[in-house]
Amino acid sequence: MPPHRIPAQPGEWIDRTLPITFKFEGRSYKGYAGDTLSSALWGSGVRLLGRSFKYHRPRGVMSMAAHDANVFVEDSPHVKNRRNNLRGDVLPITAKLDVVACNTKGGVANDWLRVNQLFAKMLPVGFYYKAFHKPGKLFPFFERSMRGVAGLGRIDPDIEAVNTPKRYDDCDVLVIGAGASGLSAGVAAARAGAHVVLGDDQPHPGGALGYQSPLHSIARDRLRELLAQAGQLDNLDIRQGTMAAGAYGDLWVALVDNDKLTKMRARALIIAGGAFEQPSVFHNNDLPGVMLASAAQRLMHLYGVKPFERCVVLAANSDGYQAAADLRAAGVDVAAIADLRSGGEPTDLAYRAIDAGIAVHRGHCVYEVHPPRVGFGVAGVVLRKLSDDNRPIPDTNVLIDCDGVAMSVGWAPNGGILYQAGARFIYDDQSEQLVSGTLPQGVFAAGRVNGVYDIDDKITDGTRAGQLAAQHLNLSTGSLPAAPSRAVARSHPYPIYENDRHKCFIDFDEDVQLVDIANAHQEGYDNIELLKRYTTFGMGPSQGKLSNMNAVRALAKLNGAGINETGTTTSRPFHQPVLISHLAGRRFHPMRRTPMHVWHHAHHARFMHAGTWYRPEYYAQSGKTREDCIIAEAKRVRSGVGMIDVSTLGKLEVSGPDARTFIEQIYTGKFGKLDVGRTRYVVACDESGIVIDDGMIARLGEDRYYLTATSSGVAAFYREMQRWAILWSMNITLANATGHLAALNIAGPDSRKVVTQVTNVDISADAIPYMHVREGDVAGAPARVMRVGFVGELGFEVHVPASFGLRVWKALIEAGHVYSIGPFGVEAQRLLRLEKGHIILSQDTDALTYPDEAGVAWAIGKDKAFFVGQRSIDVLRKHDATRRLVGFRIDEHYRGTLPQENHLIIRQGKITGRVTSVAHRSTFGFPLGLAYIAPDQAKPGSHVQIRISDGALVPATVTALPFYDPQNERQKM
Amino acid sequence: MPYQLLRFAMRKKYPEPRMFRSPDKLRDEYDVVIIGGGGHGLATAYYLAKNHGITDVAVLDQGYIGGGGTGRNTAIIRSNYLTEQGVAFYQRSVNLYADLSRELDFNLFYTKRGHYTLAHSDASMRTMRWRAEVNKHVGVDSEVVGPGFIKKEIPQIDLQCGGHQPPIVGALYHPPGAIARHDAVAWTYARGADRHGVEIHQKTKVTGIEVRDHAVAGVHTDKGFVKARKVLSAVAGWTTHITKMIDLHTPLVIHPLQALVTEPLKPWLDAIVVSGSLHVYMSQSTRGEVVGGASLDPYELISMRSTLDFAESMAGYFVDLFPCLSNVKIMRQWAGLCDMTPDFSPIMGTTPIRGFYIDAGWGTYGFKATPVCGETLAHTIAHNEEHKLIRLFTLARFGRFELVGEKGAASVGH
Amino acid sequence: MKLLTCPINGSRPIQEFTYGGAVRDMPAPDAVNDEQWGDYVFHRNGYPEVKREWWYHTASGVWFIAERDVVNDVIVRTYLYSKGND
Repeated sequence: MPPHRIPAQPGEWIDRTLPITFKFEGRSYKGYAGDTLSSALWGSGVRLLGRSFKYHRPRGVMSMAAHDANVFVEDSPHVKNRRNNLRGDVLPITAKLDVVACNTKGGVANDWLRVNQLFAKMLPVGFYYKAFHKPGKLFPFFERSMRGVAGLGRIDPDIEAVNTPKRYDDCDVLVIGAGASGLSAGVAAARAGAHVVLGDDQPHPGGALGYQSPLHSIARDRLRELLAQAGQLDNLDIRQGTMAAGAYGDLWVALVDNDKLTKMRARALIIAGGAFEQPSVFHNNDLPGVMLASAAQRLMHLYGVKPFERCVVLAANSDGYQAAADLRAAGVDVAAIADLRSGGEPTDLAYRAIDAGIAVHRGHCVYEVHPPRVGFGVAGVVLRKLSDDNRPIPDTNVLIDCDGVAMSVGWAPNGGILYQAGARFIYDDQSEQLVSGTLPQGVFAAGRVNGVYDIDDKITDGTRAGQLAAQHLNLSTGSLPAAPSRAVARSHPYPIYENDRHKCFIDFDEDVQLVDIANAHQEGYDNIELLKRYTTFGMGPSQGKLSNMNAVRALAKLNGAGINETGTTTSRPFHQPVLISHLAGRRFHPMRRTPMHVWHHAHHARFMHAGTWYRPEYYAQSGKTREDCIIAEAKRVRSGVGMIDVSTLGKLEVSGPDARTFIEQIYTGKFGKLDVGRTRYVVACDESGIVIDDGMIARLGEDRYYLTATSSGVAAFYREMQRWAILWSMNITLANATGHLAALNIAGPDSRKVVTQVTNVDISADAIPYMHVREGDVAGAPARVMRVGFVGELGFEVHVPASFGLRVWKALIEAGHVYSIGPFGVEAQRLLRLEKGHIILSQDTDALTYPDEAGVAWAIGKDKAFFVGQRSIDVLRKHDATRRLVGFRIDEHYRGTLPQENHLIIRQGKITGRVTSVAHRSTFGFPLGLAYIAPDQAKPGSHVQIRISDGALVPATVTALPFYDPQNERQKM
Repeated sequence: MPYQLLRFAMRKKYPEPRMFRSPDKLRDEYDVVIIGGGGHGLATAYYLAKNHGITDVAVLDQGYIGGGGTGRNTAIIRSNYLTEQGVAFYQRSVNLYADLSRELDFNLFYTKRGHYTLAHSDASMRTMRWRAEVNKHVGVDSEVVGPGFIKKEIPQIDLQCGGHQPPIVGALYHPPGAIARHDAVAWTYARGADRHGVEIHQKTKVTGIEVRDHAVAGVHTDKGFVKARKVLSAVAGWTTHITKMIDLHTPLVIHPLQALVTEPLKPWLDAIVVSGSLHVYMSQSTRGEVVGGASLDPYELISMRSTLDFAESMAGYFVDLFPCLSNVKIMRQWAGLCDMTPDFSPIMGTTPIRGFYIDAGWGTYGFKATPVCGETLAHTIAHNEEHKLIRLFTLARFGRFELVGEKGAASVGH
Repeated sequence: MKLLTCPINGSRPIQEFTYGGAVRDMPAPDAVNDEQWGDYVFHRNGYPEVKREWWYHTASGVWFIAERDVVNDVIVRTYLYSKGND
């Protein structure tokens, strides 16, 4: 038998036939399959497993359950895809495992940051608030150094993004915890007919039944029985290695395992997650070898590891005595039991200890632990007798040589999930622990988390919870067993003993000492939240599992108040930290493509994101720059014919008896004189008078209207239209046809010659004048053909059902071949429209633009009874106008860097406007743009200055719009 | 050299006095009552005393100081806003912050890290340029930078966002962007105010406001009635409780804002990184945790509950921007309350009720304004007239349709 | 995820919905002065209580009313809007 191992334990988790060699801190160690890093190291006699965060004190096993963060490691620097912040207590060993302790300089043994311990007196709680800020110039240096010694694991900058699929699941009853109460609850609910999922974060079921006295036949028998019962129930699905990370609204629970996140919807939730054993606070209570009694039991019974050679057990409940018996049975020399209770242990276990020759010191605490002169760990302890009011009495020292202390002084419920599910905890004076008060509907608790400890009581409590959950779901169950009592306190109300030499640790993660709590209190951080934030207890990786309760106890005492008055800190997700890759999943981001996408792609389109759409920005040509391509596309439209895919345009159909009334209330315009077959530019505002959408209206029939809207705004605009339609009780049919219809715009002096070849519709100038619409067949597709003027040339916008989009596009390309037709993209269109002075919403308008500012007040109908935003525009018009949108051109003689959008207009050192759109090259040669400007600078001919990024001022002149074809003749051809 | 620490080594008994007194009783009357013991309320109390000699002040908080937004925010301090007035206002705050640790003799860990607002589209770049130009005009250091610069300064960033988002095309780079220890700001203003004689009453809940003849007469609390002719409400997400007491109409709607934090890591990210398109922001604290948040929850909810989908979407953004975060773990998530206005600017100053002042509407940008807020509100209360820096933030602006134009900068600016 | 019951589609995760703000009554624009109009346009009842709100099921385009306790995060009831129940 290796020196730190014990013979095979019934139900142990290791497989002694499979030895594994792994590396820790550069040295090789042996363990077995099923060992974790902590158990394998402790089982190899290693006592120094990590260094604490602030003082770099030596640390070993404390909870053996990752309720603490003592054994905190990362992959060695040379490991590929290095992991960080791994918890040794639950990290399985493998042959490839090669890890080092986090946050040391020079390795865990020679960590030279342990020099901090020498300065400990100078580094009390909150010391960093009191220093380093003067002189101010040096602070950045100090801050960088502090950052360097703070933090734990190192990221690996070379790892690639991980995409881990997530899962959804649902069940009738979700049980958390596969201990005695959880298994009972699951069985009871499943027997009543519920579909039950039971999640437990350990590799094997059983909870405390597995490690607390499995030698005791009751525990073993009960576990066997429960597992047999569970095995017979097909509707009970037990998932080991599955942690409940957080509970959210309507019983939505995040279940996390090694591979993935499962998002579980439950109809009832039973929390049987047990309790965290709590440490006692005394001098050097953090040395390697001082551990929770349950940790010692886990080491023995799950991993076959001998926790100590000779130890002292500190007890305040029967769990401690049971642990002493277990230790003795494993061959550990139990030198003494120190029982905080003056009356000692009332059960048989007390006699068994005495019979076994263990010295029982009633009414004694562990007062100090001493390290060996050389090496790490524990060399001996000092016990002290306690006075009636729980104070260590000086000069009552009992010195005991030993290499470890097993503490069993109390429990704190693992109640995070319960709290998140809506329960609130109150301190129960009888059991000296927090228990949940009234639970919300559909939420139940059982077992230790509910203050119930005895094995059979836990089973009763679990059965009861399972039945209550089933009843909540209207399933019938047998008669409900009575709720077990919580009479016997398992927790000591104040296992905390100060010492002049301090080093009595309340929070191991953050090295917060009892004296820090007292000092912080002295400074006025005398309520639990302030105390936490100032001292940082509970803010480390274990989020207070082993420190919150003792800190609350200490504060309550300092305030002379009860626990309930003192309060506790809130419990937030996650129970244990969750991998970002698990939470991120595969991250689907659907993008929309028009029906002509494949053609654009084949013709070298460079795509841009336009909201959720891909659109061609321009079409690349070899040997030409982007700017060259864009200007060539635009020039082709001006001189010949070009075509752009505008399928992304918002498209809305409004029809019905109230259609015109409705549209007139939505838009600023008046449409009484809009005949069938005519189109018009329209503007819509929101209730505060701000321009929110624009487009075209086409009257297709008596009560039939077709509207275009902005690509990015149409979804929201349609939504609002629907709501207005309801509020105004409109008798209309409203449809969002944006994805249903494809659209293209073919423009240029030759455009009619091209279109006419593929349609039987008469598209001559008389048949379809400018701003008219016709329906008919185009290239075999039912189409709406509109004459529009956005780019300032003769042009036709053709809307067809999406399935015809590609065919019609290709047909026009083919027909236009002889006229050298070419496609043009978004950038060319932006240039062409800019030359006509047409605005683009949210580029030439912002969140405060009302129609007058953007030059679209002409779209407001006269004497209208009502439209959305009308009243507000009236108010806005009463203000002095502060800006107008105007056209400008850069002065001809200027040869320097040209301005870009949002460069500011400056007059006498003040901002009077900004550029909203600008083209450095236009189809007729000079740079031009649109800008907001002070009203008194808005007259055409005014000289203005645009300041570019380096501060230089660019001369420009306000120009009447449109720049191109001022009489608008070309689009009316 | 941190000589200040030597005194801890030399004294046997811990030498530090209380940060602020805890008076047993609430007096009958004060010159000024400030409702809200967060950063803003405490800063106002401090500047009332320091700048205006008004010390007969009581700060009342229903819980503990800094328990609201001050204790929950992600501590980003910057002045790269969109409007001239906004920039000037926040820049004043930055200037006060830069010297605050020295002035109050308490290390607030005010650390310049550099702030990047990433742009993923041309439209976004245009907005960044707008901000840069206005910033420079007011004398604030901001500039538009390209992807090469970003990658050089933040080597772990994935400019392509894993192919899941439109790629990063540039950013607004604001070198003075900083972070600070947010809780400490409340503590230290509390101490400063207390030293000047201000009384701080925790666990004192205001249950009503007494108004006579359109003027404030006093405040009802669960510890009794307090006479006061000047009352300031500085309670952020709890403002609508107060405004109801006096039937004051405001645009305020309360939304939760969630945040989360990773486990502590060795330093790897200096910069504060914000993405305007992704609506996400993140930074690495001095403790090594990466702190991050995104946009508000989209509906009114006066509750500080967390949601799983927030954690999921944040994690998604983390991985898209920084693939190396894939194997980092999220430790904790929480939420705070944001009182939102339609123009992403606060409501500060006088109200139709004489003597009643309001500080609200701070949405997602209150922490960075703590010092300037205190300074300007103290002035406003002392003179019963808005300080010039806050004239545009009056409550009356909504009735007058005079909204401030900050929407482009604050929607997840942080 | 929190669940919200669409009157047409039934219980769906809240992500599937778009929030439409409080149900508000528009005064007759001519019957109020500018300040009262501004009060309608911009001011809101932000008080913590049960609210009557517009919600929209994004995928199916259904607008409905939800009564929601915004303090305890409880949906009291949901129903289609009709002139009678405003």
